[in-house]
Amino acid sequence: MTRIETSFETLKNDVAAFYKMDKHHFITMNGVDLGNDEIEYQWFFCDYEYPCAETMFVAKANANVMVPSIREVVEPAWVAEAELSDLMGVEIENADKGFMLDVDSDEAPLRKKKK
Amino acid sequence: MKSFFDAIGNLFKKPVTTEFPVQQTYIPDDYRGLIVFEESLCIWCRKCEMACPPGAIVFSQDIETGKQEYHYSPYVCIYCKECVRACPAPGALLQSSEPGHPGLKEENLNNGWNKLFDESLESRAAYAAEKKRKQAEQKAATDKAKAEAAAEAAKQNPEQPIE
Amino acid sequence: MATQYNIPVGAQHIALLEPLHFKFTTENEKIMKAEANVGYVHRGIEQACCSKFKFRQVSFVVGRVCGLCSISHTTCYSQVAEKLMQLDISKKAKYLRMLVIELDRIHSHLLCLSHVAENSGFEALFMKTMAYREFSMELLEAVCGNRIQYDFSIVGGVTRDLRPDVAKMVLEKLKIFKPQLDELVDIYSNNYTLGLKNKGVGVIAKDDVYRLSAVGPFARAAGIPIDVRNETEDTLPWKEAGFEVVTETTGDVYARNLVRLKELYVSMRIIENVINGLPEGDLAVDFKGFPSGEAINRLEAPRGELFYYAKGNKTQILERLKIKAPTFSNVAAMVHGFHDNEYASAPAIIGSYDPCLSCTSR
Ligand code: SF4
Ligand code: SF4
Repeated sequence: MTRIETSFETLKNDVAAFYKMDKHHFITMNGVDLGNDEIEYQWFFCDYEYPCAETMFVAKANANVMVPSIREVVEPAWVAEAELSDLMGVEIENADKGFMLDVDSDEAPLRKKKK
Repeated sequence: MKSFFDAIGNLFKKPVTTEFPVQQTYIPDDYRGLIVFEESLCIWCRKCEMACPPGAIVFSQDIETGKQEYHYSPYVCIYCKECVRACPAPGALLQSSEPGHPGLKEENLNNGWNKLFDESLESRAAYAAEKKRKQAEQKAATDKAKAEAAAEAAKQNPEQPIE
Repeated sequence: MATQYNIPVGAQHIALLEPLHFKFTTENEKIMKAEANVGYVHRGIEQACCSKFKFRQVSFVVGRVCGLCSISHTTCYSQVAEKLMQLDISKKAKYLRMLVIELDRIHSHLLCLSHVAENSGFEALFMKTMAYREFSMELLEAVCGNRIQYDFSIVGGVTRDLRPDVAKMVLEKLKIFKPQLDELVDIYSNNYTLGLKNKGVGVIAKDDVYRLSAVGPFARAAGIPIDVRNETEDTLPWKEAGFEVVTETTGDVYARNLVRLKELYVSMRIIENVINGLPEGDLAVDFKGFPSGEAINRLEAPRGELFYYAKGNKTQILERLKIKAPTFSNVAAMVHGFHDNEYASAPAIIGSYDPCLSCTSR
């Protein structure tokens, strides 16, 4: 697995430079709560060609910062973004709220509870 | 057209379903069934309780004697056999091929088991606390006895200073 | 412009197996636009796996994500945990995992095919496919001891051995199934009325698969040979067991049916090879210690690529577990596939998507 560190400012350009529609497919987007409102965001891609190596873009940010969307480059990313914004309780550019969770469910279940 | 004739032909075939209560359905002989516990072989290490994913095994402890008791809920159990794999005493736990029975409402399965589970954990905590208290008491008693003995000794030969 | 109507389908609907909601915008009979809502059965399994259960117990928990591909989930989790622990499992355990995954694929694909037939209005074929499917359930019960939740893979290996009499039974039943499968292939590919409902319907072409990152039978039906069994050799030795990728070109419901049917031949071949070449070895390896670091793993479930990400923190309980189910990747393609189809074809298209919502929303 190749790990590429990036930041929110450079994310769109990095992904656009990397992603070729017929070379890679988008797997998913993930977030890991590191504690203290710090979240690590990960975007996974995989090659079509053998040996099908995975690539992971990583960016760390505070939970209050709006996450840029990559759906201009990677169209199906809207599904994963909508899910993550619900489960992590973060703002993602243009993501619909209420995709995964109902109105009356707990907010941001995947975030660590504050002590 | 061929499938039309096939469909008509099917009318005269033997049904593929089994007539259940009369004819048994297929059950393999190493079917995963209920867990059987053999008390005389158990060494009370509680490894099975720690391994069980849904929490279908719990041990309670008597506050006076410290004797542990095994509780098992066949309705919470998922027949995964993790407890048998975790058990260090061969034969203490076994998986039988007897299928689980349907639960009845009167048995108050979920809440009853949760209550028993919590009570068992409490009983163990209480036993541990009691043991600690008893140990402390015993220690205090022996300390007191020692001090008295020392005082006695000091009285008998007052020349020696007490250290 | 003709009048547009909004037609909701779901979350409860007779054409749907699971709670899924589609909102169609139609013009006369044509579907112009579709929207999907997939989050009806969110159960918080990821959160439970990283707060309540120890990492060895998680392989039983993730099996409950989905009833149909429970073995794919348990195996994929076991593999990712083995990567975290840096365990090498025995070849026998790998072979047994492949055996159960392929048996599971047979029953899952036949279920999907039968539902395509039912949703296309071919009730008799639905019954027939379901009747033929029963053997795979019996075999799974004989191999795993359970009919639905197999609990077969654990971290470090598998839980049960394959008894010789069961192995013989598997081979025998496969022999009976082969002519039945030929018959099914014949009906699904040559039946005239089914062809009317399935050919040229719900097309997801090659470009769209590339654009929407679809996986599994969706992509293979459009001619893209993407199959995790073809891609990685480090977790399970698929090629050694005789795997070959199956593709079709048209990308419609018909092509997806054929991909699934032809994959059954491949699955049967793998099962036969596994049983005939089953090596000796331990079922599971013992290990001590706790997981640390991060790892990912991919596995081909019946519906496509299953992806797990795990992060350990040197304790019993994982820091994070991310499950990406195949249907989740296909949501975008699913919505696209309805475009420009007759509304009456929608049930057949939904059936051919084989959506698994319990996986998607976990
Ligand atoms: S079989 Fe599994 S669920 Fe049942 S008691 Fe043993 S460990 Fe628990
Ligand atoms: S693991 Fe075995 S020996 Fe230990 S308490 Fe459970 S049954 Fe007894």
